[in-house]
Amino acid sequence: MTDLILQALFSGLLVGSVYALVALGLALSFGAMRIINLAHGELVLLAAYCAYVVEARAGLDPYLAIPLALVVVSVVCAALFLMIDRIREHRELNSLILTFGIGIVLTNAILLVFASDVRTTASPQLQDATSIGPVYAMNGEIVAFGVSLALMVALWWWLKKSWYGRAVRAVSSNRAAATLMGISPVRTELVSFLVAGALASFAGVALYTMSVVQPALGHALTVKAFIVTVLAGVGSIPGVFLAAILLGVTEALTVTLASSALQELAGMVLFLLVLFLLPNGLFGARARRG
Amino acid sequence: MLETQNLRAGYGHITVLWDLSLTFREGALTAIVGPNGAGKTTLLRALTGLIPHKGEIRLGGERLAGKTWDLAGQGIVMVPEGRLVFRDMSVEENLCLGAYPKRCRGDLSPGLDRVYGLFPRLRERRGQMAGSLSGGEAQMLAMGRGLMSQPKILLIDEPSLGLAPVIVSEVFDIIARLKEAGTTILLVEQNTRVALSVADDVHLLRGGQVRLSAPAAQVDLDHLHDLYFAREAQSA
Repeated sequence: MTDLILQALFSGLLVGSVYALVALGLALSFGAMRIINLAHGELVLLAAYCAYVVEARAGLDPYLAIPLALVVVSVVCAALFLMIDRIREHRELNSLILTFGIGIVLTNAILLVFASDVRTTASPQLQDATSIGPVYAMNGEIVAFGVSLALMVALWWWLKKSWYGRAVRAVSSNRAAATLMGISPVRTELVSFLVAGALASFAGVALYTMSVVQPALGHALTVKAFIVTVLAGVGSIPGVFLAAILLGVTEALTVTLASSALQELAGMVLFLLVLFLLPNGLFGARARRG
Repeated sequence: MLETQNLRAGYGHITVLWDLSLTFREGALTAIVGPNGAGKTTLLRALTGLIPHKGEIRLGGERLAGKTWDLAGQGIVMVPEGRLVFRDMSVEENLCLGAYPKRCRGDLSPGLDRVYGLFPRLRERRGQMAGSLSGGEAQMLAMGRGLMSQPKILLIDEPSLGLAPVIVSEVFDIIARLKEAGTTILLVEQNTRVALSVADDVHLLRGGQVRLSAPAAQVDLDHLHDLYFAREAQSA
């Protein structure tokens, strides 16, 4: 029993790191643009299906899909951005409807092209399990975890040290002041949107190599990212990472101790508990201003 | 240096500035004074491209046009009313963002040293979140951030707003030192007395028009106040 629980904790940690990537993408576009991209999960899914095409249709290693996924998701992101940028009034509210609609369109486009079958990697190397002490993990999961960690460090560095990253933080913090500092807010929004798309691309390919994907998953991913963001409170990268692992572990423990049918429910219960008991999130003591 | 010719600007159908023709001399501190609603802040907003204008704005003889962020890159830098610091970033990060325009990037340490030299308090608090600063410190941070943009002209909007009198004089001491260091400054201020104490030139705005333009040394404060409050001059 202890072994099972340990295994659940470990699996939760691994899948949680990918949830963190999805959530950071959502948080990044929210920070700079003040819009919630409800199609973000579908962007992840699009990348996952890129990996499927490269592996199952072209017969190549699924990791080779990353450049393809980056291109496809960036194009969709740019198109989405142009549509959002055309909204003139009540952007926060209207963009919810717009991105929700785009999400439905993307889901159904995927359904049309790839049918509703569940897909996952067929690569024996990725599906092979490695034992680490008392627990096991698929090689695909371990790679996904490593890549997610590396991307989070890269994102942290980018936000802290690069001029584009600084601009994203400045616009998130105080749009008017950022404009006076010579920062174009619209260009910065586009950059944040594209970086969110890049994170989604990696997350999608990772998801395909460690788990199963199907066309209806996009919506569930958006909801998970949203739960993680609220759990974390105001976005710091380590906070999002810990919240994502908490969600991953909660889901994995539910599957182990109860039933996989309750997996999504457990996440929702966690979400409601935090909303009731810690409305600022687990790590968010500060409120945003300006 | 910076000139406006027949500058007209406002909000929607409401015109606030009526054909202003003003000159701001290089290396000088020009104060714009006037009562609430005179159009002082509107003038700054027009100069920085935050609102559209008619007429001409010229910097060093060349006509200026563009969005706010382009103008900041060209050296028209505003220290906004209410400071508008990036509250959830550190003092030093705020200063670094001042150097965002492409021509200011590169090695930031000489610029930072200069700002810390002017504002030793900011050096003490370099790692602190800007949201935790006092009003006076935030004003210093906003000015320091503006200096990091290597302004050709620094527009300072109401620096005394909401500050205790002792802090106001500290802030104006620093403004005077910036002027001595050769920074061209356009200062918008309601507090005419402190504005006059540091200014080279003064323009009085009321109702969106210039009522008085004179070197600060020749301005009589009582006369200025008569014009300010639109009183008939009672004594010669």
